[in-house]
Amino acid sequence: MKYAYFPGCKIPHHLPEYGQSVQAMCAALDIELIPLEFSCCGWPMRHENELASIYAAVRNFVIANDAGLPIFTPCKCCFGHLKYAESRLAENADIAAQVRELLARDGLSFSRETAIFHMLTVLDEQVGAENLRKRAAKPLTGVKVACHYGCHALRPGNVTNFDDPLAPTVFERLMQAIGADTLDWDLRLECCGYPLRGRDNTISEALMRKKLAGAAASGADVLATACTYCQLQFDRERDALPAGDSARMAPPAVLVSQLVGVALGLDKRELGLDGNHIPWEWSGF
Amino acid sequence: MTFFDIGLSVALVICVAGVGFRVARWRGKWASPESSSASQWCFGVASLKALVLDVLLLARTGRTSAFRWLAHALVFFGFMGLLLFHALDETVTAFFFPAYESTLDPWQFLRNLLGLMTLVGLALMAFRRLWEKRLRDLTRFQDWAALLVIGGIILSGFFLEASKIISPAVFDRMVEAYFIPETDRDVTALKAFWSHEYGVVFSVPYPSDAETLGFGASLNEDSCVDCHADTGTAFVSRSLATALGPVAFAMNTSRADQVFWYLHVLCCFVALAAIPFGKFFHPVTTPVNLVVRQGRRDDPEDMLPSDGGRGMGMDACTRCGECSVHCSVAPAFSVLGNAMILPSEKLMALRQIHAGASLSEATLTAFSEGSRLCTECLRCTEICPAGINLQDLWIASKAQLVSQAPSPNDLMRNKTPSQRARVFDDLCASSVVPAVTGLADDSTSYWACVQCTTCTSVCPVVAVSENPSGDLDLLPQQIMNLLRMGLKEETLGARMVWSCTTCYKCQEHCPQNIRVADVLYELRNTVAARIRDGGVRCSKKGESQ
Repeated sequence: MKYAYFPGCKIPHHLPEYGQSVQAMCAALDIELIPLEFSCCGWPMRHENELASIYAAVRNFVIANDAGLPIFTPCKCCFGHLKYAESRLAENADIAAQVRELLARDGLSFSRETAIFHMLTVLDEQVGAENLRKRAAKPLTGVKVACHYGCHALRPGNVTNFDDPLAPTVFERLMQAIGADTLDWDLRLECCGYPLRGRDNTISEALMRKKLAGAAASGADVLATACTYCQLQFDRERDALPAGDSARMAPPAVLVSQLVGVALGLDKRELGLDGNHIPWEWSGF
Repeated sequence: MTFFDIGLSVALVICVAGVGFRVARWRGKWASPESSSASQWCFGVASLKALVLDVLLLARTGRTSAFRWLAHALVFFGFMGLLLFHALDETVTAFFFPAYESTLDPWQFLRNLLGLMTLVGLALMAFRRLWEKRLRDLTRFQDWAALLVIGGIILSGFFLEASKIISPAVFDRMVEAYFIPETDRDVTALKAFWSHEYGVVFSVPYPSDAETLGFGASLNEDSCVDCHADTGTAFVSRSLATALGPVAFAMNTSRADQVFWYLHVLCCFVALAAIPFGKFFHPVTTPVNLVVRQGRRDDPEDMLPSDGGRGMGMDACTRCGECSVHCSVAPAFSVLGNAMILPSEKLMALRQIHAGASLSEATLTAFSEGSRLCTECLRCTEICPAGINLQDLWIASKAQLVSQAPSPNDLMRNKTPSQRARVFDDLCASSVVPAVTGLADDSTSYWACVQCTTCTSVCPVVAVSENPSGDLDLLPQQIMNLLRMGLKEETLGARMVWSCTTCYKCQEHCPQNIRVADVLYELRNTVAARIRDGGVRCSKKGESQ
């Protein structure tokens, strides 16, 4: 299993522990990640200019195609936007023509389709829940995990084709495979609020608090995330709240790659668990 | 005072004054949060390592591109060698080698080698700037000026040496000063030898029989070799002299050796005086920045008091353009054409902002867009061969910009409710502004909308608001309704458009398959496009009327 590794822009500076844990987990599961010099997926530009955002995505398709590899990304916003660009190219000949012209100007060309995978899909389909169960040397028995899906992979379902957009199961299946108990909580498909950071911090924070309160009320020990932005919201942004704020006491957000890594028996430093700002008490697990 | 002394003094004064001015400007206008007064100017092992690896061996340059390392190393080692052992020969070379004469080997040979290395390096640099499309677009006058001035020094040096090789006037001067002929035959024989062996071009031909040349060789052995190696070891200049054969006579009569001496010295003075300007400054600042900061990204405020570390960092930019070649959001530059999306260009404007200069509204708007599009992916910072903490500069400047050049989001959000209602007046569409056309302009996009309010009822933003119509102005289904009626302008200022979290629940749940979230994205694009293309603000329209 060999993929072009697409970490996205935020991991290197803002969330290095995600990159670290993804690399460690994939190495342990024999998923080979090839680093290529990708550009931005284009999602952050979509607020400003759709064509720029689609062109950025397509350039990445060209880079992956040249290497002959499918794209593997741990970020749901990157995943969602790459899929969006793919669908826009297919449905709108006008945009496709503009993109081809831009590519030609930069001396590039684009021929075949690029396979785009989110990490959860790779874990589910390539590794497989059963296989994961067998390899879990230290299963997370008794840990109650609230899975946070992340909007941009789920919706619009007809664009992303990630899972059932109204009743997805992939995240829970993987968590159960590593021995954790999963919770059926109301807000698992709701937005984390991060996309509004810097644009409307009041609503962004309100969305975060609502979500954290929901996870706490469901009795979760851990809020599992599988997206760079969701984790930034539930870890970094939450850590900016004043000491003693109730939201700080809500279940800590832990990255799916860290949870799987712990179950596989990897070293917690290797998984960047000491990088999480809201510490997971279970990190000594 | 001679021409040389006057020129050198003027160039030195400009250089020293200019460097002083630029260093003084390192203290920026940004307030440093939690700035510590203790500056950490300690020269430790890390500094020494940076000095050897990054400054002397150009290790940071080599990390991104072997080609650029080769080009830069050729120029760096070539030019530094010439500077120390040729320009400063009386101080440096003569100090280490008391028997030094510039026309003896190995010096004569090394001078040619170092000059050739520099020229090849400069050619590679020019090639890179022309070959790499993005770099070609970004290259400015100062980039070519730096290549031309350094190239001018080397080329004029080679021409100077070549014109001296062929010059009978220079030969005669030396003979007069250092050769005591016993008979006229002595001078003839020596001239014959130098003409045939060392390339001097006399106005009349000298005999080339073996006897005369043999005698000339022995005279040369007795009187010249102590100070003169075979001009053949000056392999570039001698080849150049041979190539100049057809015009040698004209050059000699017009004393080309003196012309090229003035040209060579003048080029050197120009380079010296140019040091405080543009990228000519980087041979000073880049090593300082590398040694002081070693490319570290921690605690920029601690490096120098009063934000000096940032100012120094910005001056260390060599305009090599590696950051812009590898920039993650460069595709946006390809589409929007705003060069300030690229780090190297943004840095130039940032340096002015940091120094307190006021930029034009158009520049600020472009800078603000570049700043917003930056994803802080760290790539430019990791690549920068000068070790500039670009990441810190981007993050710090974003905070500074909010008030100076508001984003479309801030612009819309900062309006009072009545202003927002008139937003279509304020940001008036103009025929010169290419309108963003798409779903929102096509009322058939909403034909199927039955105003069932599903979009609004599933919206998490509406759900967390205690007073949705107050906080958000319009609810999703109301926006769809206005668009259906062709009232797009009335929706642009609605806070719902700007506070959409893009979670796509509305679109996913819409029973009529209306692309609610895609439309909201598109409305933001519309405002961004109008601001980008000059805004066509009503205030301006008012003035013109």
